[in-house]
Amino acid sequence: MNALAERFAPQNVGSIFIYTHEAHPGEYYPHLTSMEQKYRHAAALRDILGVTRPILLDALDGACHRAYGSMPNMTWIFNRAGIPIYKSDWSDHHSVANALEYFLDVTERRRGRERLAPFHVERLDYRNQDREAFYAGLARNGPKAVEEFRQAFG
Amino acid sequence: MDSDLLARYNYDAFTPEKFTPWMNFDQSPPLGERAPDFPLWPLTGGETTLSALWSTHTLLVVEFGSFT
Repeated sequence: MNALAERFAPQNVGSIFIYTHEAHPGEYYPHLTSMEQKYRHAAALRDILGVTRPILLDALDGACHRAYGSMPNMTWIFNRAGIPIYKSDWSDHHSVANALEYFLDVTERRRGRERLAPFHVERLDYRNQDREAFYAGLARNGPKAVEEFRQAFG
Repeated sequence: MDSDLLARYNYDAFTPEKFTPWMNFDQSPPLGERAPDFPLWPLTGGETTLSALWSTHTLLVVEFGSFT
């Protein structure tokens, strides 16, 4: 997603990361109890996991996250008027790139005076599912996070 | 703030009874209609809003998530 942000930035596509709650709290990164702790965890997201996009913190009660469906790693795309034109319950850079290419083309067609009307599409996209890498990520949070996920999903 | 909400939202264990109540994507705002706005706090300091960000870009990609 970082590379995607850089690729589309010249076309005035902004990319941000909104910090939510801890999806898999563990001994090293426990559940959040204060904004100060939330800032520390968000800094780790930048410094350890390498998120280079601007990171913005949601309120401690997740007001923004909850209003948008509170999935652990979803992606939304908004136009300049604040209208969501894409939402996915999981983040996948292939899917987001595909959507951005389409919507930027729509912008160009509008500039060319083509008359366009919106319509709804439903589509099932596919994401990489590397269970080994996922468990390695959980281990960064602490053994508790690994065990709880294993108990929930095997 | 509502302390009960804070505790439930910031659950202390990834167990189905604690995380499934938050999986509400099917109730999220619809596409094509003006979305709700919220304050946000940049990691670098200060305060802004989601609308301040979407209004300055042709398109704005927003990923939600956390370290864990």
